[in-house]
Amino acid sequence: MKKTISNILNVFMPILLAFLIGAIIMIAIGENPIEVYGILIEKSLLDQKGLLKTIHTASPLILTALAIAISFKANIFNMGVEGQMLLGGFFAGVIGFTFEGLNPVIHITLSIIVGVTVGILFALIPAILKAKFKVNELVVTLMLNYAALEFVRFLAEGPFRDHSSGYVSTPMISESSMFKRLFESEITLFTIIVLIVFVIMYFVFKKTKLGYEIEAIGKNRDFSEATGMNVGKKIIIIFIISGALSGLAGAGHMMSDQMRFTMSFSGNPGLGWDGMLISLLGMHSPLGIIVAAVFYSALITGSESIAVFTSVPREIILIIQSLIILFLSIKMISKNAKAVAILEKITNKILRKDNKGVKK
Amino acid sequence: MDLIANILYDTIYHSTPVILLVIGGVYAYKANVLNIAMEGMLLFGAFSSALMILSTGSLFYGLLFALIVNIFIGLIFSYFGITRKGNVIIVGIAINLLTSALAAFILKVKGMAIINLSEQVDIASLKVNIPLIKDIPFFGDVLSGHPITTYLTFVLIFVLSVVMFRTKFGTYVRVVGENEEAAKSIGIKVNLIKYSAVIVGSLTAALAGYNLAIERLALYTNTMSAGRGFIAIAAIYCGRGKPKLSSIYAIIFGLAKALAINFKLFAGPISGLFEAIPYLVMVIVLLMASYLDNKNSWKRGYPNE
Repeated sequence: MKKTISNILNVFMPILLAFLIGAIIMIAIGENPIEVYGILIEKSLLDQKGLLKTIHTASPLILTALAIAISFKANIFNMGVEGQMLLGGFFAGVIGFTFEGLNPVIHITLSIIVGVTVGILFALIPAILKAKFKVNELVVTLMLNYAALEFVRFLAEGPFRDHSSGYVSTPMISESSMFKRLFESEITLFTIIVLIVFVIMYFVFKKTKLGYEIEAIGKNRDFSEATGMNVGKKIIIIFIISGALSGLAGAGHMMSDQMRFTMSFSGNPGLGWDGMLISLLGMHSPLGIIVAAVFYSALITGSESIAVFTSVPREIILIIQSLIILFLSIKMISKNAKAVAILEKITNKILRKDNKGVKK
Repeated sequence: MDLIANILYDTIYHSTPVILLVIGGVYAYKANVLNIAMEGMLLFGAFSSALMILSTGSLFYGLLFALIVNIFIGLIFSYFGITRKGNVIIVGIAINLLTSALAAFILKVKGMAIINLSEQVDIASLKVNIPLIKDIPFFGDVLSGHPITTYLTFVLIFVLSVVMFRTKFGTYVRVVGENEEAAKSIGIKVNLIKYSAVIVGSLTAALAGYNLAIERLALYTNTMSAGRGFIAIAAIYCGRGKPKLSSIYAIIFGLAKALAINFKLFAGPISGLFEAIPYLVMVIVLLMASYLDNKNSWKRGYPNE
């Protein structure tokens, strides 16, 4: 009980504190934080259209967060999700605009396969370097992100540039490779695909040998190796899954939201980095990730409204997001803190009352 | 000949900020604190010095402000990563995101997209021509005409190397990194040493930011750090935290960048691809360094760096 309460507090305290600091910053520039936060919540969660948009925005983020979670759980710092996602999205887009008039089912499937494959191939570079040559994956993936960004920039400026557009952009993908909108909202079939993938990943994490092995590697890599687990092989598998999820995220983002590749495809700070925050917020557990993804996308959709309805720059949301990560990095409240004990008493009282109620 | 001189000049030019990050960053590395917030510290060093110079017009105040602000960031990093024992990689990522968000936010509030200092700073006058050396053909072109920080950087490589290996502070840093318990048992204030090690890095990062934004371009943009902090981390890894050796890896990056920029002019349509080369070079260098390290090792498994 104590552990659950302190876990919950350790997620909510950082959020509250980050919003508090955000409020102080807004007061400092002469704005009313209550009004701004009001708009943030109202336009992203309470309004039906906004809520559906939030869910739509959450879709690729759930995938990138899962991609981060599977590697972080094994104590492997795959920072390359951003790059894998960019390349996957770009090449899914290339398939999207190269072919025309294909059967939509075939076209979409083909684009997704290409996106996922590219994501996997790009993730294999750090995977093999790590597994075979023991090169630090953190630094390699950070470097490769920049290489990937420069590479797609080159492709978008040169070979695949849409010359009718005034800025750097690839042509629009053809109609047959776009996910159709459902319920007259921004939600597409992609969201449903994400949910299916989520369920699969949930089982991988919780019910399979692989999930158990990932946790074992994360807890003690040397011990796992000593018990006869082929850690190198597992690392490669983890990177492949991570790359596939990232590639799928990119492909889906391309075909359900962006429809063409521009240099702001991934947004700021980028779907991969957003995924990292979501994964941290959800404590690398699948269910936590889905809740965190909806909360986080509410911030994103809400920040667009902030920019429209108030004069506070939307970057305030970026500040709040990074503060949340900062505060999440530490245990704010220990299991033995006074507040936890008090809350435990209160919850126990409530539970006991309920029990009595049932007995009567 | 001119081309070679240009490439070598550019090598020094592009190496400077990375070397600065490296020679400060090795301290945190040796104290067993992986500081990937170097990227954010570099960006904020550039931002705070540019902001200060914009309002006061004084280069000195700009540099001073950057140093103070970066000490503050170093303290935040240390508090979360060392005192509160948070995961330093996550703290580092948070600091990187926070610094870029804060810089973007402040610029937006001030209604600017970039900070242009062309009125306050005359880049040409900041270039120092060394008497005698500047008259030597070829070498004069390569070695002379750099801003003052560049010369300081190359001196600092040796100074900070001596501090690391010949002073009490440097020894303490290494002891803390190698065996924290042992350091504690002989009465070394472990946290104080770790804090100082991080702050050495944030100070050189401020200097690097000043060099990048003020001396080189008289301009600040939100994406100008461009992964140099991460490249410095890569160089530190390759050099196993030794200041001089790690600086050589930083220079390899500078050389790759200089080659890419100079040969870009001849590459025509594929010139854009050259931008990716310095990053790929670092990956290959990491691979080679790691391969050489592990070649004669009989140990199985993956050290948890």
